[in-house]
Amino acid sequence: MDASAQTALVLGIDTGGTYTDGVLLEYHSRRVLASHKSLTTKRDFSIGIEAVIEGIHIEDPSQIKMVSISTTLATNAIAEGKGKRVALLLIGYDRDLISTFKMEGRFATPNFHFFDGGHDLYGREKRELDLPSILGKVNEIKDRVDAIAVSSYFSPLNPEHELRAYRAISSICDLPIVLGHQLSTRLGSVERATTAALNASLLAVLQDFIIAVRRAMERRDIDAPLMVVRGDGTLMSDEFAARTPVETIHSGPAASAIGGRFLSRLDGALVLDVGGTTTDIAVIEAGQVTVSEEGATVSDFKTSVKAANLLSIALGGDSHITWGHEKNVVVGPERVAPLAYLAWKHPRVGKQLKALSLRTWAQATPDWLEYWYLLREPPESLLKGQRERDLIEFLRDGPQPVPEIIKQLNVLHVAQVGIGELLRQEIIGKAGLTSTDLMHVEGQYDVWDTEASAHAWKVFCQFQFKDPDELRQQVWTQMSEMIIHAVITFLSERPLQLGDRQRSLEGGDQDFGRWFFYNSLYKAHPYLETGIRLQRPIIGIGAPAGIFLPDVAEALQTELILPDHYEVANAVGAIAGSVMVEEELLIYPRLSHDGLEVFGYFVQAHDERTEFEELEDALAYARALSEERALGGAIRSGADNPQVTIEELTDGLDTYRIRAKAIGNPRLTK
Amino acid sequence: MQMERVDTKRAYELIRERITTLELPPGSSINEQALAEQMEMGLVPVREALKLLAHEKLVVITPRHGLYVADVNVPDLEQISEMRLALEGLCARLAAQRATADDIVVLETLRQEQASTALEDSKRLFDLDHKFHQAVARAAHNKYLADSLERLFGLSQRLWYLALPQLGFLPSAVETHLDLVQAIEDGDPDKAERIMREHVGEFYAQVREILETAR
Repeated sequence: MDASAQTALVLGIDTGGTYTDGVLLEYHSRRVLASHKSLTTKRDFSIGIEAVIEGIHIEDPSQIKMVSISTTLATNAIAEGKGKRVALLLIGYDRDLISTFKMEGRFATPNFHFFDGGHDLYGREKRELDLPSILGKVNEIKDRVDAIAVSSYFSPLNPEHELRAYRAISSICDLPIVLGHQLSTRLGSVERATTAALNASLLAVLQDFIIAVRRAMERRDIDAPLMVVRGDGTLMSDEFAARTPVETIHSGPAASAIGGRFLSRLDGALVLDVGGTTTDIAVIEAGQVTVSEEGATVSDFKTSVKAANLLSIALGGDSHITWGHEKNVVVGPERVAPLAYLAWKHPRVGKQLKALSLRTWAQATPDWLEYWYLLREPPESLLKGQRERDLIEFLRDGPQPVPEIIKQLNVLHVAQVGIGELLRQEIIGKAGLTSTDLMHVEGQYDVWDTEASAHAWKVFCQFQFKDPDELRQQVWTQMSEMIIHAVITFLSERPLQLGDRQRSLEGGDQDFGRWFFYNSLYKAHPYLETGIRLQRPIIGIGAPAGIFLPDVAEALQTELILPDHYEVANAVGAIAGSVMVEEELLIYPRLSHDGLEVFGYFVQAHDERTEFEELEDALAYARALSEERALGGAIRSGADNPQVTIEELTDGLDTYRIRAKAIGNPRLTK
Repeated sequence: MQMERVDTKRAYELIRERITTLELPPGSSINEQALAEQMEMGLVPVREALKLLAHEKLVVITPRHGLYVADVNVPDLEQISEMRLALEGLCARLAAQRATADDIVVLETLRQEQASTALEDSKRLFDLDHKFHQAVARAAHNKYLADSLERLFGLSQRLWYLALPQLGFLPSAVETHLDLVQAIEDGDPDKAERIMREHVGEFYAQVREILETAR
């Protein structure tokens, strides 16, 4: 081996909900050489990415052989409705059935249209394709949408109508067109349509992102292949990602799980990634992230995208700690900047909090602990009303607590000041009490203004006449409880509604499941000891994991493993995955019209169909073709010496699936 | 290895559009750096895109004078029109022999849209005319022919924009398209070829006249 092969530097980047993490890693020795965290800039992810690349201080950028990136971009765009406008054309779908089962809301776009056509379960034309109506509709709507998605009934078995529609539509307009059969070979027609619509809405979003990342790399003199992490943790080239952006759904959590496994070298574990906004749970089995065969769900849209089987809950290090209606402590779901951070950036906030802590109980109410502050000057287009202008003007003087804002703007409640869009555009930020502040109080974390956190916590506790140490313990207990609850419901695949712990343990609540849960955690019953034991170790990931998870592991009677660099394991995971290309072919019988006689077998390879007389010949052909295609695809996608495995699955009804998977490590530039 | 990087493709499309619409006028010099900044892109994709455009003869790269947008002149016009006349004619002939029912639906849709578009909307009409010619090329079911025509069309496009202030759209084109679709639908190769040659010839005659009087 020559010297350059021995030191192959690779750069992994994860753009999470709160932070963008980066690691510089030596590929062969798996040694992490440097890492950096910076705030995620949702309005333009590339800003945060460039900050990370800069923060890592790469001495010789020409030594970087690969950059790989996982991103919540797709997931966020869907959740916030920021995808592009899509028209979904449904061919051969049963309009009445869709409306009877109220499935209209599942297509991820309100702009969908029904047309005659489609095939049946044996790939036979069910009805003639109504091309004139399709083109008429496209002409009518083409100026009002950014992309078109087409899904035809049973198109994985016979994509003829989708292909004919594609050819015709692309002749009359320049919009990008996505076809259902190219994204999924599964037969679920609604999920396929949803997947096609989401993919179409994300095309431009992901292209812009890739171009921005490429530009950031070029500015830092990095010339290397760019990979993007899929939702199942495998890698694809950036060109591939630009065509199938929908496959990046859940790529962040999948990368975390892969990173946890890579750093810990454990082949079986539960991975818990505690971020700023969310905690994600995934399972590692036999060295792989377990994948949900059902298809990923994002923002309640069921898709047919293969993604890691995971659960995400709105609980993280920066979850807002507030008082609920029943004077109970509430953690999350909103993410805010910690007060320690705000006071560190704006010393005046620290002084205000100190003064607040000296005031009387009645004056120092907890709403004084929520601050709004200006993140950046807004573009003129975002300022719609006078109230918004007044607010921005007020915040130019520095962060302001909510009661001051109410007074200044002369409103009764903050809800009257609609700042949703200003928050989303990262013009205004919110700060408040978070568990990160509690960590400062305890001295477990001390990067920002510890005193500010202490004063804020004093105010919070005073208001409820609670002992600060006791209440802090109560917050930690509550957060552990939320995580344990998530782990148990996720693994058991059974819901469990949490309630009043005391009522449950003392018998006021008769539900056995709840009692079992609380009794296992708090050992309350005089005679019955219950417990829940997790038979896998927990790998903790993310900066707060070291503080949040020891109690969780103890309650679940298992070991907590915090591998080296666990704070940035997500970014490590972005480069630790393999490049994979999967090719799935369908084999099904050609039947006589009455369905009684089998004339032969079709092998359907996406757009291409071949007929055989004997099943054996069809299967042999499908095996060879799928292997060739998967291998070629993996090499084009940047895999080094990919290995192919072939699976044969029966779909029932004399129908088969041949699935070839080509997997290899990413090819690094020489 | 990377034939179509995402950013190269984007840069190619944006620059090509600027050249064909004369936003980057014929003969003007090209500053890679400035282009990259305007398009918020890296220098690498912009360079790659310019190489592709040089291959298409829309950009000229010289060792001494750097990069500039290819000039348009009357001798070029003659050569391009000779090629297009012959190939468009062949294309229409093949389309009349090979067009499928789907092809006819597409041609008919485009023709109708063209007929219902206002004459003042010349940019849209030109775009529809382009799509119509592309659709005839698709109906001919010969991808090499379609590729060649597309390249020639790209070169002609600038002539059209040059002549646009005086030219406007020809109302007769709508009628010609109707006859052409009918001939293709009827499977009459001779008629289709003749109509197409006349149609293309008329366009070049007009452009030639305008460019020559402009001199």
